[in-house]
Amino acid sequence: MKLNTAMTVNRITDEIWEIPLSEKSGMLVPARIYATEGILQSMDSGVFDQVTNVACLPGIRRYALCMPDGHWGYGFPIGGVAAFDVQDGIISPGGVGYDINCGMRLIRTDLTLADVQPRLERLMTELFRKVPAGVGASGFVRLSREEFGRVMTHGARWCVERGYGWHRDLLRMEEGGCIEGADPSIVTDHAIQRGINQLGTLGSGNHYLEVQVVSNERIFDPVTAAALGITGHEQIVVMVHCGSRGFGHQVASDYLHVFEKAMRPYGITVKDQQLACAPFRSPEGQDYFSAMNCAANTAFANRQVITHQIREAFGTVFGQSAESLGMELVYDVAHNIAKVERYAEGELVVHRKGATRAFGPGSPELPEMFRQIGQPVICGGSMETGSYLLVGTDQAVRDTFGSTMHGAGRTMSRTQAKRTFRGEHLQQQMKQHGILVKAVSMSGLAEEAGLAYKNISEVVESVDRAGITKKVAELRPIGNIKG
Amino acid sequence: MAGTFRFLEEIALADLAFEAEGETVEEVFRGATQAVLESLANPATVSGGWERAIERTDADHLALLFDWLSDIVFWKDAAGVVYREAPLTLTREGNVWLLRARLIGARVDQRTQELHADVKGVTKHLYEFKQTGACWKVRIVLDV
Repeated sequence: MKLNTAMTVNRITDEIWEIPLSEKSGMLVPARIYATEGILQSMDSGVFDQVTNVACLPGIRRYALCMPDGHWGYGFPIGGVAAFDVQDGIISPGGVGYDINCGMRLIRTDLTLADVQPRLERLMTELFRKVPAGVGASGFVRLSREEFGRVMTHGARWCVERGYGWHRDLLRMEEGGCIEGADPSIVTDHAIQRGINQLGTLGSGNHYLEVQVVSNERIFDPVTAAALGITGHEQIVVMVHCGSRGFGHQVASDYLHVFEKAMRPYGITVKDQQLACAPFRSPEGQDYFSAMNCAANTAFANRQVITHQIREAFGTVFGQSAESLGMELVYDVAHNIAKVERYAEGELVVHRKGATRAFGPGSPELPEMFRQIGQPVICGGSMETGSYLLVGTDQAVRDTFGSTMHGAGRTMSRTQAKRTFRGEHLQQQMKQHGILVKAVSMSGLAEEAGLAYKNISEVVESVDRAGITKKVAELRPIGNIKG
Repeated sequence: MAGTFRFLEEIALADLAFEAEGETVEEVFRGATQAVLESLANPATVSGGWERAIERTDADHLALLFDWLSDIVFWKDAAGVVYREAPLTLTREGNVWLLRARLIGARVDQRTQELHADVKGVTKHLYEFKQTGACWKVRIVLDV
């Protein structure tokens, strides 16, 4: 087996691979990668180097993990999961990612492809108009600093209080769309200035809003699908992928700077500057945790305002209220976050960076409606292929700190993709395949070509076979909005 | 003199990496600045109208470049602008570098500007500033 590393990688099962402690000095736990052999072979060298760097961080428990969509990141690899003891462990912005609480949201409808196809052009134009995307875009919500502070502390709850959503939406979000312990007073003025006008905006890069279809033959678990409002029969659903925008990035940057200086007094050394960290219980660690929660709540609010705009757009195009169109939230889940959770080892700070929480049916943290089926997991693929709805398992809680994959994972750099593909040509080609794309930037569109990503179906198979998530349905794109 | 830059294909799969070079540190600053401007939008399609003068000092030219490029990203979000140009001078007084720069651009307009990536920040991943013979070179990864 040829891998992009000289390290020894041992097969544990067909989907689990382990790098032993002997492969890097300073490793405190082994590193484990979840992937099929084919995916493992395609992983870039950064994954092996970075996941073993993570294994050296103080207070890490059990394993440093990487999911099958893993690839090179800053500090942690994308797809990285690691849990640290709350007493003697650390917290690291590099284990959360710059886009704090970047996440996925799925909205169901009662509409079918036959209903939407004749109005698809108008629908995508309306969505493109209502959901600002791309460089420097600002949203329609005007906030005072005081009100922005309430967004930071209340998240999606703030939106519902202001009429940007329904109370029942909150039941279908990780943490109810509001994480406790957010303290706006420790967020810098820079971060506030960057974020105050961005509520309800999509951003660019791999962020998108997608109109998708669910066919009967692509539903793998009809009972769970039905419980989540996914009925098939060419049903239309809407997926949103975005996060905390410039605000979250500024919070991450600000605290990376703080942690770079804080490490020496705490006697911490790291293998990579982007793994800068502080003890979780230290003043610096607690400040970052609070500021991170501000950004996480802002991301929940961002996706909620976007949901409001999506419902308005559908209402306008179909001449009915969003409620009568059955536009209920399926779920909203974070994939860049650190949270305190309880496992066999005790209370741990679980870092998920490009990885999704995947609690199984037995998890007491889940609302009643998910106790029988497990927590929904939403995984976005490339704009040309498709995405998946899955559910978490009790095995994930036992094996991976309740975590799984988050998307397809890139195989080609943005610069290479731009040289290889042309946005205009791609847009035309996708239209011929029945996918209507509205994009602010044609070069940005080229960067997101399907061939720049791994095959999401193979990535999903890895986690399904490993038992850490179960497939529910595949979602096929028919319309996409990109920044 | 203007520095030059090139985007790198082989690193930073999900983001944008570039290398800027010049015969002086000031030229490298110019090359890196141009790379960030062009990552955001085609400067030729951006008019003027918005302007901000920025002055920064630092004993460490690495830290100074990082902070300056971060300023460019910050104002993109805070003022909702993209840039036409960013003329700068870099001088050294004793042990301290002094950067004087102007950001010149306009509010984002999707109808008239060729927009590129919404760069979220400058990172220190693989950040390297070195001198090889008569040439100064910096490598920077932008988070998008």
